[in-house]
Amino acid sequence: MSPKRTIEKVLVANRGEIAVRVMRTCAEMGIRTVAVYSEADRGSLHVRKADEAVHVGPAPSRDSYLVVEKIVDAAKKTGADAVHPGYGFLAERADLARALDRAGIAFIGPRPDSMDAMAVKTTARARMAAAGVPTVPGSSAPIAEEAEARAFADELGYPVMIKAAAGGGGKGMKRCDRSEEFPALWQSAGREAAGAFGDDRLYLEKFLEQPRHVEVQVFADEHGRCVHLGERECSVQRRQQKVIEESPSAIVDEQLRETMGAVAVRAAQAVGYVGAGTVEFLVDAQRSFYFLEMNTRLQVEHPVTEMITGLDLVRMQIEVARGEPILAQEQVVRRGHAIEARVYAEDPARRFMPSPGKITYLRVPGGPGVRDDSGVYGGWVVPQYYDPLISKLVAWAPTRDQAIHRLVRALGEYTVHGITVNLAWLAAVLEHPAFRSGDYDTGFCERYEKELLRPPGARYEDVALIAAAIAAFTRERDDAEAFAARAGEGTGRSNWARLARVRGLRGGER
Amino acid sequence: MSAYVALLDDGKREEAIAVRAIGPGLYEVRLRGKVHVVDAFRHDYGTLSLIVDTSSYSAMLDWRGTRVNVRLRHAIIPLEILDEKKLRMRRAAGKFTVAGKQTLTSPMPGKVVRVLCRVGDAVKAGQPLVVVEAMKMENELKSPKDGRVVELHVKEGQAVEGNAKLCAID
Repeated sequence: MSPKRTIEKVLVANRGEIAVRVMRTCAEMGIRTVAVYSEADRGSLHVRKADEAVHVGPAPSRDSYLVVEKIVDAAKKTGADAVHPGYGFLAERADLARALDRAGIAFIGPRPDSMDAMAVKTTARARMAAAGVPTVPGSSAPIAEEAEARAFADELGYPVMIKAAAGGGGKGMKRCDRSEEFPALWQSAGREAAGAFGDDRLYLEKFLEQPRHVEVQVFADEHGRCVHLGERECSVQRRQQKVIEESPSAIVDEQLRETMGAVAVRAAQAVGYVGAGTVEFLVDAQRSFYFLEMNTRLQVEHPVTEMITGLDLVRMQIEVARGEPILAQEQVVRRGHAIEARVYAEDPARRFMPSPGKITYLRVPGGPGVRDDSGVYGGWVVPQYYDPLISKLVAWAPTRDQAIHRLVRALGEYTVHGITVNLAWLAAVLEHPAFRSGDYDTGFCERYEKELLRPPGARYEDVALIAAAIAAFTRERDDAEAFAARAGEGTGRSNWARLARVRGLRGGER
Repeated sequence: MSAYVALLDDGKREEAIAVRAIGPGLYEVRLRGKVHVVDAFRHDYGTLSLIVDTSSYSAMLDWRGTRVNVRLRHAIIPLEILDEKKLRMRRAAGKFTVAGKQTLTSPMPGKVVRVLCRVGDAVKAGQPLVVVEAMKMENELKSPKDGRVVELHVKEGQAVEGNAKLCAID
């Protein structure tokens, strides 16, 4: 038995929905929480949810959420005994784990050397190839010079993927179809990578035609046990970012699940992994699979796995950080089907342009089998500085068909006013015949771009016109009444008489 | 009776609508030559329950000035509703023209990361002119028409508000 560590106060080094998500589990475990926030996030939901909060700097994340010393200082100052990094920001930065270790604070995540092994995507690819895990063809190291990279891409053959060596989450990732487009995309990817990860190194990978993105959730404790919790299919992507994730995947049968699970566990063990991790694969039309990368953190889409296994992955992370053992592979039970839709503050009709601003009204769905992991509230201003994800809506049902219907139903109940959100687009994806059939790949959003932007329903146009006209009419009438009431003040005459006259003037309504 | 004009498809289509109150929460609405009896009940903010003849609908109205996005089931119908006075003013202001100088504005607050044109450059419709970063994604803003850059209001690294003028093309 290893000595158990005590965790009584967790600092969550993140913001938005994931910070709220982590704090919810902490509350259930009786663990106190510390939020960190930038200038732009003083009013954020995660600050309200936490027991303590520490200001860590100006709005741009590179001056606040990405500064290791500020996070470590905040943890010391508040006496936190552990730090949960969420996803993104510092989640895959081994220097944070090391700095915390020196300060005697637990990092809720893998050991720094495992992170190092997987952090630079090119190193990870080499290690995996050595462990006998199949990988996608590409550059074996980051490429510094644009000209050299372009020459490599020319040789590899287009399309190629430009990727951030420190990357993940679609940031700093660009698909390049032609040599002429290469310079602009390369520079743009470099800037995005520097902004998101503080590291602008890029590498290249051959773009596989019509691949599916299937990933396996793994979990390991420090006692040598490593299990997999099944797969998640994440092929619905726009701008190389996942939008809808589901489990099980329509192309993964029990045999393939066992094979991929075993390979994923082997990949994790090859780097001495501890905690929650995800091994991402591309699966081609022949159901051959290739290692893409390993994310050494909790994923955005982890609720999908939680819904079908009944496990709380954040609780498991904290238990592993305390030195406790995890469950055995045969204790992992998978049941039914779960689908997650990411609700983004963006406008699908304008090429998914972000739409920050004030949420003037918010109503979230409820009912059977629905989970809403949100980071916002009505009245809050979605800042321009961070990821446009505002919530993840997840539905569980016994079958895939029922889960789709349930999620569509729940999306219909979701109401967000003041900013543009992608709710109608998400419903269009779920109702698309290709998605319904389960036969879709990472080219889905591009291929069906036009169909997914459903024109405003002609069916409801008349009702919409009636609604808007009545709303305008009642608004005018209310304004007139308020005006009349004010005008009547102090004249000694009856406001009601005045009101009657105003109404009379407006054309004989009662 | 109050008369309105609704603009649909970004002003490409117009529909006339007339509303008359005939009882508490009860309205007569004239649209496309038909008269509907509508029972309207205002729920919480932005939600209007409508019984049109006998069909029941829950309409969610997200107002931005005179523009409104009406959501019914999964359909979102963007429209603009004007009374006669506003329509006259709008027509007088001549906002419907597409020719002449066009100003490119930033659709959201963010930071200018690249300026791809200079004053005097000849540009084509759809050519990227300015790259604005918001929410960690870069967005290329394109020329609305063929023409020449006549004004440039921003430089690289500058923070911009939503609707800020970036440049003008004539």
